[in-house]
Amino acid sequence: MSRLIKFGMMAALAAIALVPLAPRHARAAEMTPAQQKRQMFRRGAQLWPIYCNTCHNARPGGEFSPTEWNMIIMHMRTQANLPPQDANAILEYLKASR
Amino acid sequence: MRRWLARVGALTAAAVLIAATAPIIMADDLTVTRGAGDGGVAREREIRDIKSEIHRLEQRVDQLENENGQLKKSNAELKQNADKLQTSTTQQLSEIQSRASAPPSPADFMDAMNRFLGRYRFTLVGGAAGSYIYDRKSNTNTFALDLEPIILWQLSDKLLFEGTIEANLPAGSSADYQLPVADFQYFLNDYAELVMGIFDQPFGDWYEDQSPFWVNRFITAPLPYNVGSLIPPTEVGLQLRGGFQWGEMGQVADYTIWSGNGPGYTNATCGSNTPPSPLPDCSTTTALVGDTLVSDNNIRLNTHSPGFGGRFRVYPLPADSNFGRLELGASTFDGKWLDGFWLTSWGVDFNYFRDNLQARGEWIQTYRQMPQGLGADNRQGWYVQAGYFLTGLQVPLLPSELDQYIDRLEPLIRYSGINQRATVLGNVITTPGIGFTGSPALYAPHAREVAVGLDYWFAPSIVWQNELDLELPRAGGFYSDTGQAVGAYPNDRAFVSQFAVGF
Repeated sequence: MSRLIKFGMMAALAAIALVPLAPRHARAAEMTPAQQKRQMFRRGAQLWPIYCNTCHNARPGGEFSPTEWNMIIMHMRTQANLPPQDANAILEYLKASR
Repeated sequence: MRRWLARVGALTAAAVLIAATAPIIMADDLTVTRGAGDGGVAREREIRDIKSEIHRLEQRVDQLENENGQLKKSNAELKQNADKLQTSTTQQLSEIQSRASAPPSPADFMDAMNRFLGRYRFTLVGGAAGSYIYDRKSNTNTFALDLEPIILWQLSDKLLFEGTIEANLPAGSSADYQLPVADFQYFLNDYAELVMGIFDQPFGDWYEDQSPFWVNRFITAPLPYNVGSLIPPTEVGLQLRGGFQWGEMGQVADYTIWSGNGPGYTNATCGSNTPPSPLPDCSTTTALVGDTLVSDNNIRLNTHSPGFGGRFRVYPLPADSNFGRLELGASTFDGKWLDGFWLTSWGVDFNYFRDNLQARGEWIQTYRQMPQGLGADNRQGWYVQAGYFLTGLQVPLLPSELDQYIDRLEPLIRYSGINQRATVLGNVITTPGIGFTGSPALYAPHAREVAVGLDYWFAPSIVWQNELDLELPRAGGFYSDTGQAVGAYPNDRAFVSQFAVGF
């Protein structure tokens, strides 16, 4: 029975993953691209020390090139299960702060 | 212009003609008046026509003068525009010349490199470490080296390949190579990702997040993940995972579910149990209580059914909270290790950091069904650790020049333990090694260890680590295959020093 409960729990988690969730940032559509970039930079600057330091010392943007950061943040999305809007904000901050 | 001059000339000629003929016409008028008749009427009509022509010509002159003025104005505007164009062209030329002579900016250089390399989507990260180990029990002084490059290859915006090659030079042995991670990561949507291949076991926080040299605050692994770890370190199979924001910024949760080859054991020979062993004597090759999990990747295993696992993690505090960052996680991993016999495991973990303080801990419970009436092979493991950066610490009577060095220090402490009924002699590694194996003297069926450490951080990913491992008196138990007691040399000590770099 306990295994059935575990299977049920996993199925529920999978359902959560596959159900499209309502967008939380509808206001972003009203902003110009430059304003969106600035907002992402600010969000990234706030999240970068928190998310990265959870596991390891946060590494500054100058350590890697923008192309390398693209791949590293993609990798960290997997490694730490980062939500996409937060991962994109941190990426924007790291690339802009080089 | 030429047409305009011709018109002016014609008009001038007409004016001269009129001026010349006017006195004659006027004289003729007088004559006509004096000598009235039909000829006079015709003369008057002719004069009226001539006057009308003069008036028309005057209007024409006015019109031409007006056109002339407009042409002059247009000419002036054209000249002005030409001057502006020349100034702008000169300025642009100057800019292009200065840009051509100046060195390219990093961004321009990167763009140029990307254009040159085409679909360049490949990078190398990872870590390297060299360590020195002294163990009192085995009277060992040894050096060890380890290199773990991680290859990242971005095939598209949604697909990434990750490969980790582990190369180490353990004490008393030649180089050893392994492939702990080789998988494809495909993002199905913003909230779900598929991982296929060999991957770190997503159980708990250790294998995925804390095991790299420069990420682990200590050098050795805590006992539940050390020699004879309770959970296999890698798995071959499929994962579905993702994260989402459920509240304020920073309040997120994530999940991972996976299925793979499942657990496997070394299946050691049992044949010489003698008193005081509590285990029955056995004369055939069979599984043993205390047998260790296969710690390498289990790609070679043919297990009896796929194993499966799940992990859920939540961050309850918002990013701008003054209470720091808290992570709470729960995991399970289950699979048949033999026909009809299950390994069931679960664990809970936490991680908390605020300013200079970081603390984490984990509890793991496993339950292995055993054949031959041996009862269950239950195991428990746990650890709790804390570290504190001395950044900003003012030490009285110490010269201020030393502050920059004190800022980089991080003292650490960890308590870990493991419980199991017995162990198999051949599975206990007697050669020290860094990483998962740690100090061999510290492993026993009932082991308790306190580790104290001091890290000096040269950079966020470059660290010199020092660790003292102290085995507590509780350590002990039996070898299940020989029946002999483990821990003939209790209370062992080990010192490990390591220089680790994350690149």
